[in-house]
Amino acid sequence: MTNARNAKTAREKAAELRAQAAKQEARRKRTMITAAVLAAAVALIGIFVLVKVANDNKNADEAKAKQPPANLVDGGIGIGKPTAKVKIDLYEDFQCPICAQFETANAAQLQSWVDAGTARVVYHPVSILDRMSSTNYSTRSANASAAVLNSSPTAWPAFHKALYANQPAENSAGLTDEKLIELAGQAGADKNAITTPITTQQFASWVTTITDDFSKAGYTGTPTVVVNGKKIDTIDPAAVKAAVDAAAKG
Amino acid sequence: MTALTAQVNHRLDRWQRQLPWVATAIRLFLAGVFFTSGWPKFVDSAGTIRSVRAFQLVPEGLVPAFGYALPVVELLLGVLLLVGLVTRVSAAVTAGLMVMFLFGIAMAWGRGLQIDCGCFGSGDVVKDAVAGYIRDILRDVGFLVLAALLWLRPRSALSLDGLLGLTHHETDSLVA
Repeated sequence: MTNARNAKTAREKAAELRAQAAKQEARRKRTMITAAVLAAAVALIGIFVLVKVANDNKNADEAKAKQPPANLVDGGIGIGKPTAKVKIDLYEDFQCPICAQFETANAAQLQSWVDAGTARVVYHPVSILDRMSSTNYSTRSANASAAVLNSSPTAWPAFHKALYANQPAENSAGLTDEKLIELAGQAGADKNAITTPITTQQFASWVTTITDDFSKAGYTGTPTVVVNGKKIDTIDPAAVKAAVDAAAKG
Repeated sequence: MTALTAQVNHRLDRWQRQLPWVATAIRLFLAGVFFTSGWPKFVDSAGTIRSVRAFQLVPEGLVPAFGYALPVVELLLGVLLLVGLVTRVSAAVTAGLMVMFLFGIAMAWGRGLQIDCGCFGSGDVVKDAVAGYIRDILRDVGFLVLAALLWLRPRSALSLDGLLGLTHHETDSLVA
C-alpha cells in the first residue's frame, strides 16, 4: 500500500518535472522568437521610414529648385485689386464636391466684392484628395490650373469655373489631360503654351509644396476659407458675408 | 447537488475548450481591422502625414516619420495576428495603439479641433466632428477590449504559435 502510494507520487513527480521542463522550453523558445520577430519588425519599420523621409527631403529640394508658375500673388492666384482691404484666401481641391458647392453658393458675392474693390481673393489649389481618383486628379487638375496661370493668367477664372462645372465624380478616373487642355482652351488659354506643362505635370511639385504649407498652417480640409488671416468654420454665404463685412469695417 | 456541480463543470469545460476558437476569431477580426485601416494609410502616405499633423500632438520634425511608420506597424500587426505568431505581444501592441488613438481623439475633441481622425485613411471635410469623435472612441474602446481579451487568453486555434509550440499555458504568468 505504502509502496503503491510512493510509486504513484514518484510517477506524478516525474510527470510534473517533465511538464515543468516542457513549459520552460516553450518559454525559452517563445522569448527567442518574440525577440527575433520584434527585432525584424523594428528594423523593417526603421529602414522604411528612413528611406521614405530621405526621399521626401530630396523631392522637397528638387521642388525648391523648380520654377513655380509665373503670375503668383501671395503664393496663389490673386483675383481683384491689390489695394482691397479684405483678403480672402480660398484653399480648394478641384476634386472636392463641397468646394464646387461653395463656388456655386458664393461666386456671385465674391465677384461683387472683387468688382467693388472691397475684397480680393487668393486661390490656393491644393491636392488633398488624390486618393479619390485613380489618376491623382487633384494634383493633375491643380497643375493644369497652374499651367493656365503661368501662360494665360486672364483665362484662369473661366478655367476655374469650368473645372467645377465638369468636376468628375469621386473614385473615378478624373478628367483626362486632353479634356483639361480642351477646357483650358475654351476658357481662353493659349493651348500651345499649356499642353506640355499639363502633360508633364510641370507644376506638380509646386502643388505638393502649397499643399504641405496648407497642412502645416493647421488647415485640414477643403474648402478652407480664410478672411484676413482668420479661418471661417462654415461655407454658408451669409457667414462668409458677415466675416467679410466685419473685416471691411475693422 | 453533485449532479448540478458536474453539469456546471461540464459546461465550463466545454466553454474552456471553445476558448482557443474565440481567440482565433478575435485574432482574425483584429487582423481584418488592421488591413482595412493600414492599407489606405500606406497607399496615401501624404494624406496620412497630414492626418497625423492635424492632431497637433506629434512635433513637426517627427510628423513624417510617424506618418510613414504607423501604417507599416498596423499592417505588420495584421500579418502577425492573421498567422497567430507572438500573439500575446501582438495583442499588447494592439492595445497600446488603441490607447494612443483614444488619447489622440480625446485630445482633439477636448481642444475643439474639427478634424476627421483619418483612422481608416485620411479624411475629408467633417460636418460634425463631435459625432465622429464619439463614434471613433466607442469603436476603439471595442477594439481595446478585444485586444485585452486576446492578451489574457492568447492561446488560439490555427496559429503559428501553436504549430511552433510557443503556446501559453493558462497558468503562466501574465507578463511573459
